[in-house]
Amino acid sequence: MNEDVKKENNTKPFKILVCIDGTDDSYRGLRYAARIGSGANADITLLYVRKIDKELNTGGLDMRLARENMLNWGLDLPSTTALKRAHDLLIEIGYLDEDWGSKTSHTEIQGDPLGDNSVEYTSQSGRKVILKLMVAQSPELGILDESELGSYDITIVSSSKPGEADDKAMRFSGSISQIVATESKNTVIVANSLEENHGHLLCLSGSASSFRAAQRDALIARRCYCPIYLYCVAKNEDEIPHKQIILDKARKIIEKMGYGVSGEKIDVGDPVECIVEEGSKYSLIVLSGERKKGFRRFFKSSVVYRVLRSAHNSVMISR
Amino acid sequence: MRFVGLTLYHSAQSLMFNLMRGMRRRNTGSGGIIQLLHGRGWFVMALVIGAGLLNLPTPEGLTDQGYAVLVMSIVATILFVTEPIPLPAVALLIIVTEVVLLGVNPNDAAKSIMSDSVLFIMGSLMLAVSIVKQKLDKRIAFFIVKMTGTNTANICVGITIVSGFMASVIGEHTVAAMMLPVAITLIRLTSEDPKEVRRLAAALLFSISCGCAIAGISTPSGGARNAIMIGFWSEFYYDPLNPDTFKYLIDYVSWALYCFPIFLVQLPLTSYIILKVFPPEYNSLNRAVVKLRAQLAEQGKMDVGDWSTIAILFITLVGWITMSGTIGLGIIALLGAIAFLVVGLVKWDDINTNVNWGVVLLYGAAISLGVQMKDTGAAIWLADKFITLLSNIGAESGVGLWLSVSALTTAVTNMMSNGAAVAMLGPVALKMAAVSGESPLLMGYITAISSSFAYLTVVGTPACTIVYASGYLKASDFLAVGWRMLIMSTTVLMLFAYFYWPVLGL
Repeated sequence: MNEDVKKENNTKPFKILVCIDGTDDSYRGLRYAARIGSGANADITLLYVRKIDKELNTGGLDMRLARENMLNWGLDLPSTTALKRAHDLLIEIGYLDEDWGSKTSHTEIQGDPLGDNSVEYTSQSGRKVILKLMVAQSPELGILDESELGSYDITIVSSSKPGEADDKAMRFSGSISQIVATESKNTVIVANSLEENHGHLLCLSGSASSFRAAQRDALIARRCYCPIYLYCVAKNEDEIPHKQIILDKARKIIEKMGYGVSGEKIDVGDPVECIVEEGSKYSLIVLSGERKKGFRRFFKSSVVYRVLRSAHNSVMISR
Repeated sequence: MRFVGLTLYHSAQSLMFNLMRGMRRRNTGSGGIIQLLHGRGWFVMALVIGAGLLNLPTPEGLTDQGYAVLVMSIVATILFVTEPIPLPAVALLIIVTEVVLLGVNPNDAAKSIMSDSVLFIMGSLMLAVSIVKQKLDKRIAFFIVKMTGTNTANICVGITIVSGFMASVIGEHTVAAMMLPVAITLIRLTSEDPKEVRRLAAALLFSISCGCAIAGISTPSGGARNAIMIGFWSEFYYDPLNPDTFKYLIDYVSWALYCFPIFLVQLPLTSYIILKVFPPEYNSLNRAVVKLRAQLAEQGKMDVGDWSTIAILFITLVGWITMSGTIGLGIIALLGAIAFLVVGLVKWDDINTNVNWGVVLLYGAAISLGVQMKDTGAAIWLADKFITLLSNIGAESGVGLWLSVSALTTAVTNMMSNGAAVAMLGPVALKMAAVSGESPLLMGYITAISSSFAYLTVVGTPACTIVYASGYLKASDFLAVGWRMLIMSTTVLMLFAYFYWPVLGL
């Protein structure tokens, strides 16, 4: 463990929010979170968001009655099943131990009698895993609320491609993960077949925010010992020297933070197409993002949104 | 161009998301009016639309009050569908605007929200809670698997039949809440991995929701929409001094005579469609059924509580059949609920917690708005416009008109609760009958029955919403089954309207 990581252990924990929706992608995201969180001071929150019941949809009969009836039969609700599976996965990979202390809490939320419920597991060293079942007007609202109010360093949300969107109960369709990635103030990983051992492809545009993304990614990558590969796309051959300068600057920033760069590459062509194609060889495509609203997006950072829509694998929007 | 389109799409998506974003859990920054209005986007939009429409000149042939009622209906529909504020608040808003905007006497406005239909909705919800609390579902499950054996298709058909017959009497939400654990238990005992039982789960769950949907129209007690339509017939056409209008007082048996056969014909067709769209992965649920039987066998014999429940239900049903014409459906439903409380089979707290009283209030307000549409002439004006519009395509009467009314009701009921759809469309449909020379009873039956064709969306019917909560279904599954069910149900309805109802004198 290097000095920086040790230092971090003594400061505030690195907070990771993993959105669980019962899909394989969300559990892959959880494995990745466990990797980021292992070996250093980190808290992981597993979040399942259930929509607030709409009063008219059940014709005046409270939905709670149907849920209670299921529980009376000894059946778990979908939310509990999904969170239990996530809990078991953390035990299986050795992140969570049976001997961790646990504490349950309940918060009443206007509009739903079930409210928010959580179970907090704490290790002897103070590391935490929190299982949280939240009710919200929509999944994306719940995730964004939790992400902002909990001041998480990183949010991991699974994604389904448009057309493949499996909207089972609270599964996050492509548009939900896109809204979270777009609207969140914090760093977001949109997990799509997230694999652990292929490194981060850090895409640099040369903007100040892309260098901040490099710093941020270095912090995250070193937590999980993931190699970083720097990547630039030039519009034409003439731009290559300029892009090389950007790569060199990013390399220095990362090395200054005590981490290394495993490779770098410059391609010529359309940025989105190049990033999507090259990115498919890596665990994560890392892009810098700013929370721009409305038509500002038209002039800036649209590459981020186009990559988000087109990428075949996971994308991290670093903020 | 694709780039521009995509960026514009994202900008619009973000704009809409932030406009409609719900109330935050805690104040996280910007305070004041903006924070207050956060998540109230649709409410503000509905008010702006309402104010804008009210400032337009009153359309020709419509009174100012009639126009105001039409605008109120538009605003209420937006609020019903989008729910930016609690629905009981929408109900209260309707009552307030009736007094403020229409000048209705406050006492009359208050009276108009309570009728036998509303008492029926209230009573049937109380009955629903009482029945679900008795845990008869395990006995029903045992009966189904005993009757059907282990063949998967037979079990699906059995669930459709049992759900259907129960939903024809006690309301589909009750049946769906009772049957959901039965289906999920069978699914999970077959496999814990949802991917391995994807189609089996869909077949079992749709057997519940579709069975409930087709049965809900078969008797007046099957759903709120039926009671609402019975109330409208009585309100619009019944005159105690005119014996010719007595036919508009529809009792339990009369309704069942017209509608129950429609349910029976749809039963096998429904099972066929479900099994065709979602052929289960397993032909036999031998393992699951054996385990389920073992679980259910632990219950022992039926006790006094179980028999009391069945007795109260039976007496209530007999009451509906024999006395609903004289004392009304609502009073009998309330008597049933009171019986459960008196015998001690259910606690008031259970009823109070599990019945959403706000929805009862909402139905009352929606019915009141429907009555105002009639009283102010808005319903007949709208009906006249519809008929004129339909005459352009030669659908101003006969099967063309029936189909048009059915299609309109189906479209509305897939977006909002079927009871609310009938409350909003019923007055217009009945007035369309007057304009076109059709029988109001026929148009009323078509509207009420079509309101059960909410197969396409998760929010269409309470049963759909409840089975969707199981987590085993996708929203697209409802479309896959729904369009086939829609065609089948509409065809069956039209055939009955054309061939069977005239035999009964309609």
